Amino acid sequence: MIEINHLYKSYGKQLVLEDINLSIQKGVITGLLGPNGAGKTTLVSVLIGIMARDHGEIVIDGLNLDHSLSEIQTICSIVPQNLAIYPMLSAYENLEYFGGLQGLKGQTLKARIEYCSEVASLQSFLSKRVHKFSGGMKRRLNLAIGLLNNPRILYLDEPTVGVDTQSRNYILETIKKINREEGTTIIYTSHYMEEIEQVSDMIAIIDEGRLILNGPKQAILKQDFKVSIRVCELSNALLDRFKGIKAARVLDDCILLTKDDNFNDNLIEIFSALKSHAVEVVDFDSRDKNLETLFLKLTRKSLRDA
Amino acid sequence: MTKIIYILKKEFLVMGRDVHALAVLFVMPVAFILIMSLAMRDLFETDAVKQIKILVVDQDKGDQSKAFVEMLAKLGTFAFHHMDDGIGIDLIRHKMFQDDFKFALVVEKGFSLAEPQMILLVKPSVNRQTYTILKNTFAANLAKARIAYQLKGQEEMLDYAGIDIDKLMQPADTLIETRYVSKGKLKFKVPTSVQQSVPAWLVFSMFFVVIPLSNTFIAERNYGTLTRLQSMNISTGFLLAGKLLPFFIVNLIQVVLMILVGVFLVPLLGGDALTMGDSYGGLLLITTAVSFCSISFALLVASVAKTTEHATTIGGVFNIILGALGGIMIPKFVMPDFMQTLSVLSPMSWGLEGFLDIFLRNGNVLDVMKESLLLLLFGLVMFSATAFIIRKKLSL
Repeated sequence: MIEINHLYKSYGKQLVLEDINLSIQKGVITGLLGPNGAGKTTLVSVLIGIMARDHGEIVIDGLNLDHSLSEIQTICSIVPQNLAIYPMLSAYENLEYFGGLQGLKGQTLKARIEYCSEVASLQSFLSKRVHKFSGGMKRRLNLAIGLLNNPRILYLDEPTVGVDTQSRNYILETIKKINREEGTTIIYTSHYMEEIEQVSDMIAIIDEGRLILNGPKQAILKQDFKVSIRVCELSNALLDRFKGIKAARVLDDCILLTKDDNFNDNLIEIFSALKSHAVEVVDFDSRDKNLETLFLKLTRKSLRDA
Repeated sequence: MTKIIYILKKEFLVMGRDVHALAVLFVMPVAFILIMSLAMRDLFETDAVKQIKILVVDQDKGDQSKAFVEMLAKLGTFAFHHMDDGIGIDLIRHKMFQDDFKFALVVEKGFSLAEPQMILLVKPSVNRQTYTILKNTFAANLAKARIAYQLKGQEEMLDYAGIDIDKLMQPADTLIETRYVSKGKLKFKVPTSVQQSVPAWLVFSMFFVVIPLSNTFIAERNYGTLTRLQSMNISTGFLLAGKLLPFFIVNLIQVVLMILVGVFLVPLLGGDALTMGDSYGGLLLITTAVSFCSISFALLVASVAKTTEHATTIGGVFNIILGALGGIMIPKFVMPDFMQTLSVLSPMSWGLEGFLDIFLRNGNVLDVMKESLLLLLFGLVMFSATAFIIRKKLSL
């Protein structure tokens, strides 16, 4: 559904997306996980066509973003991180305005407003002005507006920021329901680990503009990196040597080793190689890891504090 | 087309529910028109209804002094308040400050006998022009009074010579006919405070769309609404047009409202009624030009300001400076020459001149063409700059 190849984006001299390669399948929920400032919103903005990129190719539903932006935008929708709604208007007036601007009118518009308000559980509050809504209700309205054009691809940029647990759960369940019933492809960005685990089929971890891990949720969660070895610096010769070890994965200055039948041999080989190249080991960790600790290990950052 | 209808509906709903915006756009200019029309009424008054209060102390009490004071009183320009002839200068001075007299005329003893002697006491707050006019009036009438005195008793001889003494002594100003000129040839209008106030505060209020427009625009930008609209394939041009059209309608409503206030409300409160010009085409042209310029200015402020507070400060301060410079707050004709020259720098001055052409000088489309083109051109420059900045900021 979405193919991203060698995507680069910079703000001035600062590179914010670096060589992103990602393939998102139709009808799946992809959790885009990363700390604040990792580049998640920038990536979504580029995908929705509201931000230019430096390099790279993006193909969405078989359409090239450069040549078919308007067609792509009619099948996509974004629920921005901010509450992109008018507080002085009622919920109905907000839905009518955004629906109208998407070309909906008459009975079609009314029907979509009815459906979306039902999905967001706002039927009883349509005539109420939004500035009187609770935080959770505003978030649900933000989501409902994103559903008005019945999108085939829905980008949700941190859609639960600042809401209570109940509203958060409702929003997450609604997202799963939309995906299940409408077959909508969903890209869900968050820095909340548990949300990504709860809602996603696929997980992509992004940090400092680079995609550092990507794959099916179950596979990633099952990855039992038994050992992580952090070193000062790895030469190209060492990198080439570690590529030959199937259970090993190198991320910057961190070597991750999965436990398999050759675990002992692989471990000895890695340490022998490091010793022969006089590479200093900075850290060694052999504890079991969940996604949170894996993320910490990979990025050396907390998701929420970064 | 239907998209524009949804935009108009949204803008009017948002604005209609914003009490502050309504106050700035409609209540403030109405209040200014009422206050300034009534406050400046006397500045424009040509029929000498407002008399200058003068304290008079006739220490002479002779025929000539009485005749002189009566002659001045007949002019209708002065309201004399007579005081006891024995009163001293100190008490006169005290009375002037106590009862707010700007002038006091002391006709000294011996006025009727020898060389007439008078003292004119003047408060320092009186401007030089007023003092000079007053002194010249006194001098002219003094000369006339002396001639009249010398001709007294010689009526028969004058009659014999065919000289009508009444005609000879009639006030000189009745011999001068005043005609106000206008660009339109058919009519002339007497300049009144309301003819000045309505166009001035109308232009000022039209430029004040900067407050509600920038507030809405910045909120849309900061809260991601513009991002959402962009993702819906709404172009920058459409976004800007979506601001231009509703606020143009707001400006039109302001024009109609301010004219109605000038025509109907000001007279109810004792002021003069606004009289309209003949050229509705000219009025529409200058209204459109001022509106485009003011909205473009508002959009530019909205595009460069980071917060609504920032925009309110920039917009408010610029409007007040442009208004002061452009003859909104103080009519240009009371400004010194160099300030009048400087006033051409203010777009509000161009708009004001355009409206004055219509309301005061009976101008037509051609008469307001120069000001309109200047405003449209300046508006276009600001609009283009706004489009450039917004496109850059939104990274399109």
